[in-house]
Formats: sequence, C-alpha cells, structure tokens
Amino acid sequence: MPATNLLQGTLDLLILKALALTEMHGLAISHRIGQITGGTFQVKPGSLFPALHRMEEAGWLSAVWGDSENNRRAKFYRLTAAGRRQLKSETEQWETIALAIASALGAS
Amino acid sequence: MPFLSRLASLGRNLFARPRVERELDDELRACLDQLTEEKRRGGMGPSEARRAAGIDFGGVEQVKEEVREVRTGRILEELLQDLRYGIRTLLNNPAFTLVAVLALALGIGANTAMFSVAYGILLRPLPYADADRVAVVFMRYFPRDFAFGTMCMRDYLMWKENNRAFENPSLFRSLRMDIGGKEGVPEQVQGATVTAGFFSTLGVHPLIGRTLAAGEDEPATSSLALLSESIWRRRFGASSAVLGQTILVNGAVATVIGVMPRALRFPGRDTEVWTNLPLNPPTRYGPWFYRGVARLKPGVTLPQAQDEVNQIGLRMMQQNPFYKRLTLPVLGLRDALLGVTLKPAILVLAGAVGLVLLIAVVNVANLMLARATVREREMALRLSLGAGRGRLVRQLLTESVLLGLMGGAAGLALAWGGIELIRAWNPGNLPLIDSVRLDAGALGFMVFVSILTGALFGLAPALECARADLNATLKEGGRGGGGHARGRMRAALVVAEIAVSLMLLVGAGLLLRSFVNLQRVSGGFSAPPGQVLTMLISPGNRKYNDDRIGLAFYDEVLRRARNVPGVEAAAVTDSLPPDRQGDADTFGIEGQTLALGEMNPIISDATIGPDFFRVLGIPLVRGRYFTDHDNGDSTPVAIVSEGFVHRFLPNQEAIGKRIRQSEPGFGNKWMEIVGVVGNVKYLGLAVDTDPAYYMPFAQTYGPRAFLTVRSSGDASRLSAALRRDIQSIDPGVTLAQFSTMEQVRQLSISQPRFDTMLLGLFAGIALLLAAVGIYGLIAYSVAQRTHEIGVRMALGAARADVVRMVVRQGASLAAIGIVLGLCGAFVLTRLLETMLFGIGVTDALTFAAAPAGMMVVVLLATFLPAFRATRISPVVALRYE
Repeated sequence: MPATNLLQGTLDLLILKALALTEMHGLAISHRIGQITGGTFQVKPGSLFPALHRMEEAGWLSAVWGDSENNRRAKFYRLTAAGRRQLKSETEQWETIALAIASALGAS
Repeated sequence: MPFLSRLASLGRNLFARPRVERELDDELRACLDQLTEEKRRGGMGPSEARRAAGIDFGGVEQVKEEVREVRTGRILEELLQDLRYGIRTLLNNPAFTLVAVLALALGIGANTAMFSVAYGILLRPLPYADADRVAVVFMRYFPRDFAFGTMCMRDYLMWKENNRAFENPSLFRSLRMDIGGKEGVPEQVQGATVTAGFFSTLGVHPLIGRTLAAGEDEPATSSLALLSESIWRRRFGASSAVLGQTILVNGAVATVIGVMPRALRFPGRDTEVWTNLPLNPPTRYGPWFYRGVARLKPGVTLPQAQDEVNQIGLRMMQQNPFYKRLTLPVLGLRDALLGVTLKPAILVLAGAVGLVLLIAVVNVANLMLARATVREREMALRLSLGAGRGRLVRQLLTESVLLGLMGGAAGLALAWGGIELIRAWNPGNLPLIDSVRLDAGALGFMVFVSILTGALFGLAPALECARADLNATLKEGGRGGGGHARGRMRAALVVAEIAVSLMLLVGAGLLLRSFVNLQRVSGGFSAPPGQVLTMLISPGNRKYNDDRIGLAFYDEVLRRARNVPGVEAAAVTDSLPPDRQGDADTFGIEGQTLALGEMNPIISDATIGPDFFRVLGIPLVRGRYFTDHDNGDSTPVAIVSEGFVHRFLPNQEAIGKRIRQSEPGFGNKWMEIVGVVGNVKYLGLAVDTDPAYYMPFAQTYGPRAFLTVRSSGDASRLSAALRRDIQSIDPGVTLAQFSTMEQVRQLSISQPRFDTMLLGLFAGIALLLAAVGIYGLIAYSVAQRTHEIGVRMALGAARADVVRMVVRQGASLAAIGIVLGLCGAFVLTRLLETMLFGIGVTDALTFAAAPAGMMVVVLLATFLPAFRATRISPVVALRYE
C-alpha cells in the first residue's frame, strides 16, 4: 500500500462503490478498487477480507458461491438494499467532508 | 434488518463454526489460486508464480485470523475458547487444581456460611409488617438494676397516658403455661399474656380466627387464648373446630379465638400460647413482670421516642421514691430480640472469616505465581505465534475466575453443611437462628465472592505473564526470567498469610481461654452437674394454690422421687443456678435504719425445700440447713449467703438476726437467720455472685417449683421413672424442662461456646492454609535450587547443613510474619474485649502460645521439603539441566 493511509471508513466506501454496478469476488474487488482509484489504493487481502466479512455480517453485502471468469469456484459479493442505502449516505457524508477539507486547505 | 443480519451471523459463527471456517478457507484459497493464475498469465513459471502470489497475499492463516477478529460474537467465542482451554489446563494439573479449589472452597464456604448467619440474624427482614418501626420498651432502675428489666402495671399506665410517640403502646409478659383440656394430656409450654394492641403492633394476621379486639384487655374481659400453629397441629390436629373451644390455661378456662402462623415468634421463639392480659387497676407498685411493645407513629424516630420516654421515666421517679436512676431503654425489635452480646460477636466473626478468605486468596495467588514460572514458556510461545497480550491476560483471568467458581461451588456445599452444623450447635437460645438459611442471597454472595477472588488472585500473575520478555524466556529454556522478583513477591505473600493467621489464632486463643475460664467457674455448688436432674413441676389444678393441699402434694412428690432407684436425695426449689433465677426482692434487717425512700438492693431470694443444699452440694458455713420442722407452724426462719453477710452484716453474728422479705407494709413476717451458706450464682456464670437469702418452701409456698434430684450415676436416665411416678399422683400435673445441671450449665454458656467454636474453626482453617502456603513456597524453592543443593552436597555439605539451610529460610519468613501478626493482633483483639471472661485482651499466655504454635506448624511444613532436599543426589542434580 502506498503512503496513503486507508482509513476503515474509506475502505468500506470504496468496496461499496466497487460493487455498485455488479457482483464480484474478492480479488476482482481488489482490482476494481485499484482501477477506479487510478492505482492510488491497492487493497491487500489482509485488509480486504476482514472488511468484506464485516460488511456481510452488517447486512450491507450478501454473498453467493459461483464460478469465476476462469471457471473456478469463488465467493461473489453483491450489494443489498441496506448496502445501497449505506453507499448513498456514505457518499454524501464523504462529499461534505471533502468539500469542507478542500475549503479549509484553500483558505488563506 | 441489520440487527437480524447480525443475529443470523452470531448464530452461524457460534453454532455452524466448521462450515463458516471451511467457507473462509475455500474463499481464501480460491483467491490465492486466482492470484497465482494471474501471475502465470503474466509470464511467470508455476513455482515462481505461487511464491509471488503468496507474498502478495500475505499468509492465508494471518488473513483468516484477521477475519475471525471482526466476526460477530468474537468475544463470546473467545470466552468459550478460553473456558475450554482453562478447563483443559486445570484438568491437566490435578494437584494444583485440587489444592487451589480446596483452599478456595474453605475460604468461600466459610464466608458464605457466615454471610448467611450474619444476614439471617442481623439483616433479614423480620416477618412482621414494617418491623423496623416496632420498638420494645424495657425498664431499668436501681436497686434492681437489670439492663433490660421489666416494668409493672402502674409504670405502663403512666407511659400510656403520657405517650405521644407510639401508636397504641402494648404490654406483654412471658411465662410458662400449663395447657390442659379435653383435647389431651396436660403439657407445659412457653406462653405470653398480652394486651389487645399486641398483634396489631406486630402487624401479624391469624391463620384462622381472629386476634384480640380493642377493649379485650379491659378488667372484666373473659379469658381468651390464641394458639401457635405448632400447638394447634400437635394438640388439635389442625382442626378449625378449635375456634370457640375452651382450654385450660394454668388451671383457668380460656376460649380459643385464633391460630397464629409459624412466623410469629414473639416474645419468645418458642411461644405457643398468647392470652389476653386484663389491665386490672393496680393497687400498688409491682409485680415487675412486663415489657412494652409499640409501633412508632409515622415520622417519629427511635431517638425521639427515647427522649419522650425518658421524660416519662423522670416522672415515674418523682412519683415513686423507690425508683432510683430509672431509665426506660427503647430498643428496635431486632435489637431487643438479639440482646447486647450477639451483634458484636457476629461482626467480629464476620471480620475473622473475611481474613480467612484473604488467606485463601493469597494462597492461591501464590500457587498461581509458582505456576506462572512454569508456564512462562507456554505464554512466550503463544505470544510469538501472534496472540495479543490482552488476549493472554483475558485467558489467564478466565482461568482463575473459573478456578474461583469451582472453589465457590465446592464452598457452597461446605457452607450448606456449615449452616446445618451451626443450626444443630445452637442449643435453642441463639435468637433469630431460624431465619438463617442458604438462599438466593447467599448464592449470589457466593458467586460474587468467587468471581472477585478469582479476579483478585489471577490478576497479578496474568499481568506479569503478559509482560514477559519473549526473547529472554525462550532463550532461558523455561527456567523463568522474572524469577527473582517473583520469588520475593511469593515470600511476601507467605509472610502476610502467616501474619493474618496468627492474628486469628490469637483471637481464637483468647476466646478459648475465656471459655475455659467460664467452664471452670463454679456455680457455687459442688455436686457433679451430670448427676443432678432438674425439672419444673406445675400442678395445674388451682386447688394446689392452697398451701396445705400443695405442700401435701409436694411431700408425696418427694417421697416417690426418693423411692426411684438411683435417687440419693431430692428437694424442691423455685430458683436454680446458674441462670434460672426465680425471684428477686428487696429485704429488711431488723434494727436497720434506712433514710426515707431508701431501701436495700433487690437480690435473689429462693424458696427451697430442706434438702436443696445437700442435692446441689452447697456448703454450710455456719448454723444449720432447713429441716422438715421449719413449717407453717414453727418460727419463720431464713438462711443467707456468705455474700449477704459480707455485704449487709459485716463483722456481725448473722445467726439469730432477723430479716424480712420485700419492703415494709406487705405484711411479711420477720424471719430468724438460722444458717449461712456458700455463694451461688443465680444470674449466670459470668455475672458476679449476688447475695441471696433463702426461705423454707413450707413457710413461703408457691404452687410451681423445680424438683431437683441427685443420683448416684447419670441423672438423665431417671427422667422416665420420675415422670411416671409423679404423674401417677395426679395426671393433671405437668412436668417440663427436664435437664441435668450439666445441660443447664452448657445452655447458659452456649453463646460463648458458639463464638469460640466458630472463631476456633476459622483460625484452624487459616492455620492450615498458611501451612500449605509455606510448604508450597519452600517445596518450590527446593525444587528450583536442586542444582545449587546438588553442588553444595558435591562440595561436601552435610545433610544437616542442607536441612538447616532450608529450614532457616522458612523460619525467617515465619519470624517476620509472626512479628507482624503479633502487632496486628495487639490492635485487633481489642474488638474482643466485651467477649472475654476472666482474661485481658493482651493475655500473656495466649500471646506467647499462639506464636509458638504457629512456629511449630511452620517448621513442620518446612521440614518436609527440607528433608526431601537432603535426598537430592549430586549426580542427578547436576544432570538436571
């Protein structure tokens, strides 16, 4: 992981966002996060899987077993209704904070 | 929804753990495989790809552990895991577990039992409505001077007239009652006669029927009786037809109006019949038979009531110059039931038992510390495998709390046995013992104490374990890094143990010495107490109130008693030492001049038959005993005690002087003193002898009397024959309170015995625990020093040297503990001051014997491991690395 410190809330938000369009298995989620953040965030399994399990237990994600692109069994995660609501509220919250921080940093 | 999801996860994590784990494994392996696949597609060889993927992934097991950490129910799961692990560890060390559980069981068991006793006697709500608002009013005055004495009807009426603090002041008197009637053979029971407000004051309701109505204590009311549940079942087969039936109470007819529940145990715990007390207008002061009981009006406190009653007491003194220094002590119902000596004794015992628990805890902490050394490697290994230190502390604490609970469970069994034992010990006169039982409160107390002790003795070793230095420990191969500091701590704990148990030992020693003193006190009679049988005879029928009929009856009783095989002598009396004091009265001496309003003190007076002194073996000092010729037709005579002569007729010839019972104006005749006898204790063994005067039964007859017989052997065997022979004179006669003088004696000192046995037991447990503690420490230290001892012996140290070395270690610890313990005892034994008889709180013998005994025990406990140390073979010891 590069210098950027991945806060837990940020990781949750990124996972929710990565799963917004379609269901994915763990490795794909990791790649997707790398892709949508332009390579800034690279989530390692040691952080990713605990987060996935935690979010599943919280009811934001549901998981099913399916075949991966190369026909191997894998656990696919998808957003639940609660997960979508969570994504929405976290996004709003993040935007508020980002705006506030940006304006704070921009102040002279 | 999120809650339901959590709940489902919790269930899955706890109960479908294998599946959850398998799925986690599958998921992570799949991911790792995919990663490897990607690497290969990126152009790596198979093994290189696997290695690179492994590095990127970061270790399947670690990731699993991370996932487990965030699972719902993680703490619960860990707890279960710790418990399983703890049980396994404890089972793997049966010796350690057994010793620890036993020590804790003794400590917690003794505490739970003592808690139940203290709670039952001091705290458990009395079975009366708002019992803390009920007070008992006593009367104390000189020259009578009984701390919790009685008042007479005139005093009551004055109190009632001037009362504002209490609702409906009531009056009661305890007395023996002969109960007879169509329903069965006559029997004698404990009874009470009470005014109409008595039952409403206590707030008790009848099982069936009713209690006394207002006005049913007015002069002309017919006699009414209330029965206890026990006598109702015994004599009336629990039939409700008893209501309205008449029974004979002391020969007079009374109508049964109600049955009271078992919970009503007032005024006595064995009171079985309550009758109404008619408030006949008194014509004079006395008799002083009564105590008051009343409920405080709302908003009035006990001290306020006491203030008011004090004012009334002042008026009583103004009206009657006879009363000197009169006070009316007002006691809450519980304090009145407990008396003055029990509460401090129970508090002392509760404190002592707390110390026993402290010793048990120290003992187990010591064991844990010893084991911590052995387990250091295990802990270091687990730390290095990634266990968190917090997690280790938690696990060790779980283990010690588990140990505490095991000790508590075993202690509960001990407590139950202990309480049964205490109830059995109690010879029937420890008040409120019936409310002592093992209940939910005691159970809660036990669990609380168990957890607390578990945490207490587990905390220090647990924290230390978690602090352990990994590298040092692993390198040292388990010989223990923090050994030195830990050894010092263990030694300090053992010193504390010895000090505290010595304090208990000194306390128990003082009580024991005091009790032995009490046992040795002569009641003033020399007859072997096991060879004297006493019983209370009550003729029941009112015709015996006539002294001619009564005396003839008692002559026949004595004749038949003397004919019973084994009886050597028999006599009647209305008083018996050591505490069945019959009557007390003032007296006059012919020729004595007293200032106006002055009177002689009220002292014991006994009415006795001719052979009384011979039966009990009370020595004649001068003059003669009474004879059969001292009867209603001859000159009135009296005998006085040596104490009487010493105090009231000093330096005078007592024989031939004349004295008179009671005050002038009661028509009592002058009685000529014909003899002087030795002092007898009628007020209890621990009370200073009071002077007494005796009158012949045939000249001052009363219908109820004790029969005392002296036998050649064990007197208790005579009971059946005496009962049969006496009742064959008149089947209406009741006989009660059969007991040998030995039993009477023991009963009179049952509370000191209770205190002594309990404190002795506690001190014994403490001593045992301390011995185990020092044994453990020395044995462990010898084991640790095997190598050193081996070297010493190889270099020529004799066995005696080794023994001396080891014993010196134990003895020096004991010496420190003993000095500290003596200092503590010096301070703490002051609490025992009121419980001691015949010795001071710093009794030299006790303060010398207890440390000596302690030292012997310590040396014994040390000698065993010391002896074992001499068996160490140098060769083996040096190989022992």
